[in-house]
Amino acid sequence: MSQQRVLPQSKETLLQSYNKRLKDDIKSVMDNFTEIIKTAKIEEETQVSRATQSEQDHYEMHVRAANIVRAGESLMKLVSDLKQFLILNDFPSVNESINQNNQQLHSLQEECDKKLIALRDEIAIDLYELEEEYYSSSLCDTGDLPLCEVYWNQDSLGSPEGISTPPAPRMAEPMGTGAETSTPSHPHVNGQGAAPTEHA
Amino acid sequence: ILPMANERLRVLEEIEKEIAAILQNAGSVTSELSKEKPNERLLDRQASQFTASVQKVESELSNQIRYLTQVATGQPHEGSSYSARKDCQMALHRVDHARRKLGELARTCEQMLEPQ
Repeated sequence: MSQQRVLPQSKETLLQSYNKRLKDDIKSVMDNFTEIIKTAKIEEETQVSRATQSEQDHYEMHVRAANIVRAGESLMKLVSDLKQFLILNDFPSVNESINQNNQQLHSLQEECDKKLIALRDEIAIDLYELEEEYYSSSLCDTGDLPLCEVYWNQDSLGSPEGISTPPAPRMAEPMGTGAETSTPSHPHVNGQGAAPTEHA
Repeated sequence: ILPMANERLRVLEEIEKEIAAILQNAGSVTSELSKEKPNERLLDRQASQFTASVQKVESELSNQIRYLTQVATGQPHEGSSYSARKDCQMALHRVDHARRKLGELARTCEQMLEPQ
């Protein structure tokens, strides 16, 4: 905790300068405003002629008004500097906003992955049917058959119901990326057809 | 994704609006004074509004500065949300990849259906 008090020189002087700016600007605004109102008082006796006095008053009011505007703008700059300092150094709020962002991104990612998994489960079923259709049609050449033979061998060994579900995910997983397109995936199929035949 | 959840930043925004209001108030006071027959009650109200605004701005800003002196250390903040963002980006890539592959599959099926 004692470490927290020891700010580096630059930060300490920076904060002190903020305070000084604040006080100066507020003082300037108040003083100039009161002076304007005082000068608006109409006096009868003057040392110089009316015209000169009014000219002088006019100029003085101009200057004081400009001072007020300058002080106001300097206050705005102070506020913007404070904002910048706050964003960079206010650790509690920075931490909180980082956590919030992390949570949002994390939940978005979870949702994406959940939907992808649901999609995969649905497609696995459809892919099973598609592949059956494909392998039993005239489109596939003899090179592809080994994979189907494994299929039908297992089919003849066990009951059709019990076997139809396990092969589908098993086939969907290794061929998930490659088997959707028919022609370009033949090397894939052949390459992966080798593995199941080994097991069979 | 950077919502302004920060309370203090919002307060600072309000202070900025307040400063602009101060200047406008001062301007209206002087223009009211410059009239032939200034409305005294209006003048009084505006003048007291002016002083109230100025004091409010001063107290709010010195609050903020005081808070900063309590909170600021010299070290730069080293936290980031990069890893969560990267994970999310990869998840979106996965979704996009799956979508493209599904599109190809659909096109292939349609092609197969056409000649028949």
